[in-house]
Parts: sequence; structure tokens; C-alpha cells
Amino acid sequence: MVSFFRKIPRTIVVLVVLAAFGLARTPFENRLGEQLIEAKLVVPPPGMTVLDQMGQSALMATLGGLRPLVAGFLSLRGYENFSEKNWDELRQTYQVITALEPLEESHWVNAIWHLGINATANMELDRKLPGFERKRRFHNYAQQAIEFAEKGLEQIPDSVPIRKQLAEVYREKLKDWENAARVYGEMMEFDDAPQYAERFHGYFLAKVPGKEQEAYDYLKGLYDEGEHQHLPTLIFEIRRLEEELKIPYPRRIPEADPDANRARPQKPKPQALPGGIVIP
Amino acid sequence: MSDLAVKVKNMTKVFSKGLKKSDYVVAVDNLSFEIKPGEVYGLIGPNGSGKSTTMKVVLGLMSPTKGDVKVFGYDSGDIRARNEIGFLPENPYFYKHLTGKETLKFYGKLCGFRGRELKDRIAELLELVDLESAANRRLGGYSKGMLQRIGLAQALIQRPRLVILDEPTAGVDPLGSRQIRDLILKLKDDGITVFLCSHLLEQVQEVCDQVGIIFEGRMRREGPLEELIQIEEQTAMTFSGAKPELLAKVRELIEADAGATIVEEGHPKTTLERLFVSLSHATATEEKEDEK
Amino acid sequence: MSQTTPSAFEPATKTVSPLSLRRVMVIASSSVTQLVRMKTFYFLLAFAAIIVVLMSLNPPTTPAGVLSTIKRISFGTMDVFAWLFAIVSTALLIPKDIEDRTLYTILSKPVRRIEYLIGKLLGVLWVIAVSLLVMYGVCALALWSRETLYIAEELEAMNADARYSAENVGAQIALIEQQGLRPELGIAVLASFLKAAVVASVTIFLSTFASSSLFSIIISVLVFIIGHAHTMATSFWLYQTDNSLFVQLLLKVVKIFIPNFQLYSFSHGIIQGEAVAYSLVWQMTGLTGVYLVVFLFLSLLVFIDKEF
Ligand SMILES: Nc1ncnc2c1ncn2[C@@H]1O[C@H](COP(=O)(O)OP(=O)(O)OP(=O)(O)O)[C@@H](O)[C@H]1O
Ligand SMILES: [Mg+2]
Repeated sequence: MVSFFRKIPRTIVVLVVLAAFGLARTPFENRLGEQLIEAKLVVPPPGMTVLDQMGQSALMATLGGLRPLVAGFLSLRGYENFSEKNWDELRQTYQVITALEPLEESHWVNAIWHLGINATANMELDRKLPGFERKRRFHNYAQQAIEFAEKGLEQIPDSVPIRKQLAEVYREKLKDWENAARVYGEMMEFDDAPQYAERFHGYFLAKVPGKEQEAYDYLKGLYDEGEHQHLPTLIFEIRRLEEELKIPYPRRIPEADPDANRARPQKPKPQALPGGIVIP
Repeated sequence: MSDLAVKVKNMTKVFSKGLKKSDYVVAVDNLSFEIKPGEVYGLIGPNGSGKSTTMKVVLGLMSPTKGDVKVFGYDSGDIRARNEIGFLPENPYFYKHLTGKETLKFYGKLCGFRGRELKDRIAELLELVDLESAANRRLGGYSKGMLQRIGLAQALIQRPRLVILDEPTAGVDPLGSRQIRDLILKLKDDGITVFLCSHLLEQVQEVCDQVGIIFEGRMRREGPLEELIQIEEQTAMTFSGAKPELLAKVRELIEADAGATIVEEGHPKTTLERLFVSLSHATATEEKEDEK
Repeated sequence: MSQTTPSAFEPATKTVSPLSLRRVMVIASSSVTQLVRMKTFYFLLAFAAIIVVLMSLNPPTTPAGVLSTIKRISFGTMDVFAWLFAIVSTALLIPKDIEDRTLYTILSKPVRRIEYLIGKLLGVLWVIAVSLLVMYGVCALALWSRETLYIAEELEAMNADARYSAENVGAQIALIEQQGLRPELGIAVLASFLKAAVVASVTIFLSTFASSSLFSIIISVLVFIIGHAHTMATSFWLYQTDNSLFVQLLLKVVKIFIPNFQLYSFSHGIIQGEAVAYSLVWQMTGLTGVYLVVFLFLSLLVFIDKEF
């Protein structure tokens, strides 16, 4: 028996064992791989389109499992680009970083922040460039920030931080109230959205010409939710819209905050019933 | 159960040199010999004749292409056989980063020694091979002779019953090689079987009981040393006080039968060296004739 | 030594255990000595230097961002060290023994070849484990000192500003802590170690039949890189219908013959602050064990008949 096995060439035995092992482990490894990706522990390799735009070094890093290391060093390079105000290079750096770690939210947020806020601010201040060029670049950088946000949201559709940063670009830099309102509106849908998102959606909608009625209805809806929404800015905006839309007086909100002077009765806390039914 | 220390029967070892099947070297060709326990067996032969190969097969570092090799009744390569063998390879190299003492400790531990016993054994062996002063130096700085001696100590560490020495005196100065000769004789006194090969024929002649002469992988002559170096059909005379003229006269007188004093008469001995050279020549010319 | 032993005339009787852990450990510790005396631990100084440089940087980002960068680079370096060291040292050790003919003397002692292979592997893994632990210690110290500093600063700044509620402060601190020193990071180190162990066993296998260290180093690195392309290969396989038969076959061969190293990148998520389930860690550890056994077995298949 033993001598029979000895006669089989070793190479064949080795190949057979390797193949059998490979076949046996593949289903297990596939399952494990899915679990690891689901737990966000392993980053799936970038898709073919992303692979195309990655540099060679990034591709090698992806293949060699060096992603965190290379992404780390590239972040440092990103900071360097930032301190040198080298915005075009910064954009390229972040393209590679986000390709390497597409599921890392902070990379997207940083890219949007650098291009949409820092680079545009720099264009507002840079006296070395002629005015028209500064304007052109200002819009380029803002546009690049928006592109990063779009790609980032493709990767992480539920991301609130990316939307927050994007809305800031629309709001502070582009004065694009419609888009700012849209982004805040999207943000509201998520549990981890900040409280102000719902109000901001209305405030910026109110600034869009032609959307006054929609904004008024929305903000009034918020107002009617109860006193926790009776914030000065909200009241101020509603009043402004009431004027603008010529809302009949009886339907306008009270002159003074009706709750302002009243000693606030302690409302019983909403009681949670089984099944998530809330008694107001 | 076998009462032999080493038994090699019709052993052949073929090395393939290239990918082609026809490209091969027969390093050992149908070799047979036996080593009895307690014996010192010397294998001699020119370079490339297959001595080291034979030793490696006996050790189990290589397996024979054909034939049968037994050590103390076990197949060569059996771990129980290796437990009984101490081996000094040709041109031994050990870990350069270890000191002499650490080297012995390493091999001793591999053989299962520990603690006090190992320590004592190391001290004993360092004394035996005269390396006590260099015990704590790294082997990287050892001379050739020192390496050979630490190698010898390493071979003896587990008190083996068979010691295989591949050219133990290669590169060792005459004094050192005499020390090694004495050591082998001491091993023999202790009843340890020794299997050695060497190019120092004088020394082989001094220590070996049995000698095999191998050439191109084949055993050309084998037997007890005494028998090998006897030459039957000649007579030797040893004179004392013979002047040159006398010697000339002796030559005449031998034919004419005259009155010089004969001090000793008997079977004279050749040296192993002469036998070795003549055998090598003889086989070489034989083969030339064969080719014709 | 002068007892004229009658035992010299008897066949060998001493028994030799089939697989002796002690002999394995002797070989392993000799490999450790070898690696240590090759001054491999000097790498740790280089690592410490990297950490010091990292600590001196002050990138314009949030505290959490700085911590995350420190983690990425230091753990990434640890990971690279582990697998690279596994390949290079394993590929060097066995051919070196053959070249120096130390293997003659080792294998002519009562040592089984499998014991020799396991010993070498364990030696390499031991050095890697110790180095990783030391590096982790240095890195943990760096992270912890930065983290406590940042938290103190943040607390001071936020408490001075009345606008922030206790809840705001808590959230901010939690954000820093998520990127700071957390026990999960130990599992990231384990991940690097497991990866290195598999790479080392593959390299041992390759070096049992490779003719030179260089060959086994190059092939191991190739195997390692291709082993990261498993999912990529799968997606090719699944979504690219117009692949030639040759490409399809090649992908199958890759999947079957080359270990899936991609799985071992699970430290990646941990470094980014993701939580890790222990069941996954156990599964990975178990898988690594199987890899080691199979590749050691394959190595033995080749090594057992090898002539020196
Ligand atoms: N591993 C090997 N592969 C191929 N051929 C080999 C190998 N080892 C030995 N040989 C060949 O076998 C023959 C015998 O070699 P061996 O080393 O046994 O000779 P030797 O008698 O020990 O010589 P020396 O006195 O020079 O040590 C030589 O022709 C050698 O080239
Ligand atoms: Mg030789």
C-alpha cells in the first residue's frame, strides 16, 4: 500500500491535495468573505470603473492589501496639499484615497471640505489671480466638491456627514438655496440627522423664488407640531412668508408667542406603549 | 536481529543531472560491504569516487536508487538508527552566529539531552576536542581545524554507537590530524564503531581495521588492513651496517649466494598509499583497454 | 567513557518518540536565535521612528482625523512588516541551512523532517508575534497619549463655551474615543499575525522545492498579491460573460490554488473603528489553522524525499 503511494509522482499528489483543499475551502471562504464585507471589516475591491481611474500605485496597493497604509500616507499628502494651497493636486490625492477606501466617510467629507470650503475661500482671497480667473476657479472647485459628494453618496447612500458638508458648500459658498434645501430635505430621512435639518430645509426653501408657498406650508406644519418648534428664526421666517404671500390675518400665527408668558404646564412625557405607539 | 553495525548490500546510487533521462551519473555502483561493531572501517578512493554519497545513504540523507542499507538492523534513515549515529560531514559548517558551546547545546538538545547531563556532556566533549578556551566564541571566527573539531564533538554528543566521519582531517594541520587520529583510536577502545573516509592514507593505515578501496563507485579491493598490504611472492631483507659498496656487492652476492648477515626475513609490506596508486592506475588502464 | 560497552554489539533499543514537541521547540528557538542575531529586531527601531514622526505631525483636521491617520499608518506598517518578514525570513532560513550544510548535521540527528519544518515555521512566527506585540505597545502608547490629550483639550474648550450641552460634549468625546485606543485594535494585530502565518506556511512550501531564496521570495510575493484579487476574480467571473475560456480557466485556477488573502484584510475595518464579532475572529483563526496544516503537509510531501 505504502509502496504504491510512493510510486505516484509527488508533484501530482501535491497538486491533487492543493486542488482538493481549494475546492473544499472555497464555499466556506466565500461565505466568510460576505460576512466580513457585511460587517464592513473588509473593503470590497473597487469596481472596474474606479480601477481605471486609479493610479498604478493605488492599484498595486489594492492588490497587495496595503490599502490602509497607502490611504494613511495619502491623507498626510492631502494635508500637505492643503497647507500649500495646491488644490488641483489635493483633488487627485483624494481621488486616490477615496478609491482606496470608498467606504470611509471621513475621506469624502474631507475632500468636500477641502475643495468646497477651503479652496473656494482661497479663491475669494487670492489677490495674485485676476478676478475672472478667481471666479472661474471658485466655481470649478465648488463643482469638484459636489462631484465628490455625488460619488461618495453612491458608495454610502445613507451618509449624513457627506450631506452636511455638501449642504454647507451650497449654502455658504454657492448660495444655491434650492440645492441646499434639497440636501437638508434628504438628510431629514435619516435617524442620525441633526435636529436642525428639518428646519433648515424650510428656511432655504423659503429663499427660493417661486417656492414660497411650499416653504410656508412646510414651516407652518413644523410650527403646528408644538411649542418645541417655536424657535425665533422659524417664527421670523413664517411671518416673512405670511407677509409675502399675503396670508389673511386670521390664519396667521399669533402676534406674540402664545406660550411665552404662560407658565408652562408640565406636559406629561409621551408614554411609549408596546408596539411603538406613542400617546402625545 | 543483525549483529552488524552497517550492512550495505548491492547499493547503487544514480543522480540525474538534467531533465533528460539519459543524463545521469552513477555515483555508487552495486556496492556491498559490512562493518562489524567495534570496528574501524576506512573507505578510500579518489575524488568523486562516491565515498560521501555512500555515507549519506548510510545516514539516510539520501535514499539508495537500488539495494539495501541497514544500520544496527534498521533501514537507513530510520530515526532509531539515526539516534545511534554521529556524523561529521565533509567541510562542516554550523550556524556561524552560535558559539562553540551553543552549537553543542543545540545538537545535544536535538538528541534529547537536557540540564545537568547536557552541561556535563558538553564540558566533557569540549575538553576532548581541546576547544575549552574557544567555547564562548562564535563559530564565524573559528579556524578550519577548530570547525572540524567542534564538528567531531557535535558528532559524539549523544554517545552514538556508530560514528561516521567524512574526511575528518581535511584542512587540519599535522599536529591536529594526529590528535584526531588519537581520538579515533580512543573511540575504538571504547567499543564505538567508526566508519571514515580520508585521503590521508598513512592515517587510515594507522587506525583502520578494515579498508575498502572504491573507485568510480565500485569496490575495487576490500579486507582487513593486514591482508591488504601483504605482498605474497616477495621477500624483504633488512640489513644493518651495510655500506654502499656492500650494497653493490649484495646485489651481486644475492645472485651468487655469499655471506652477508640477514637480520630479518619475512613478508614485506607495501604502504596503503602504493596500493592505492597502483590500483587506480590499473583500473584506469583496464578501462582504456576496454574502450579499445 | 571507558566502559567497554557490550551494548555496542546489540541493535538499537532506545525509542524515539514519533513527533517530539521538544525537538520542534529546539529547532524553533534556534531559528529565533538565528533571526535575532541577524539583527532583524532593528526594524522595531525604524517603526518607533515612524511613530515619533507621526506624533510630531499636526495635520489640519479634527482630533479624530489625526488619530485615524496615526492608526492607519502605524497599523498598516505593522501589517506590511508581518507579511514581508514572514516571506523573507522563511524563504531565507531553509535554503540557508541547505547551503551551509547545517541541515546535514541536523537531519543526521534523530530529528524528523516534519519536526524541522514545524520548528522553522514556529521560529519565524514567534519572532513575528513578539515584534507585532512590541509595535502594538508603542503604537498603543502613542494613540493613548494623543487621545487623552485631545479629550482634555476638547473638554476644556467645550466647557468654556456655554453653548454646548453635556450631550454635545459627550458626543464629541465619543467621536474621539472611537478613533482612539480601543481593545478591538488588538484583533487588528491578530489579523496581521494570522495573515503572516498563512504567508509563512506558503513560503515554506515553496522553499522546499525552490532552487533559491530569491525564487521563493518572488513567487510568494506574487501569490500574496494574487491572493488579494479573489473577489475581483470572482466578479470578473460572474459579470463578464464574454471572457475567453482561457481567462475563465485562469480565474478558476487562481481561486482554487491560491489562498484567499483578502479575507485577512479584516484589520482594515477594525482600524477604521468598526466593531468586530468574535465569531468572525474564531472562524478566521480556524481557517488559518487549516491553512497551516495543509501547507505543512504539502511541504512535508516534497521535503520528505529531498536529498541533500
Ligand atoms: N547531489 C548530487 N547530484 C548530482 N551528482 C552528485 C551529487 N552528489 C554527488 N554527485 C556525484 O557523484 C559522484 C560521487 O560524489 P561523492 O561526493 O560521493 O565523491 P567523494 O568520493 O566523496 O569525493 P571527494 O573525495 O572529492 O569528497 C561525483 O561524480 C559527483 O559529481
Ligand atoms: Mg566526499
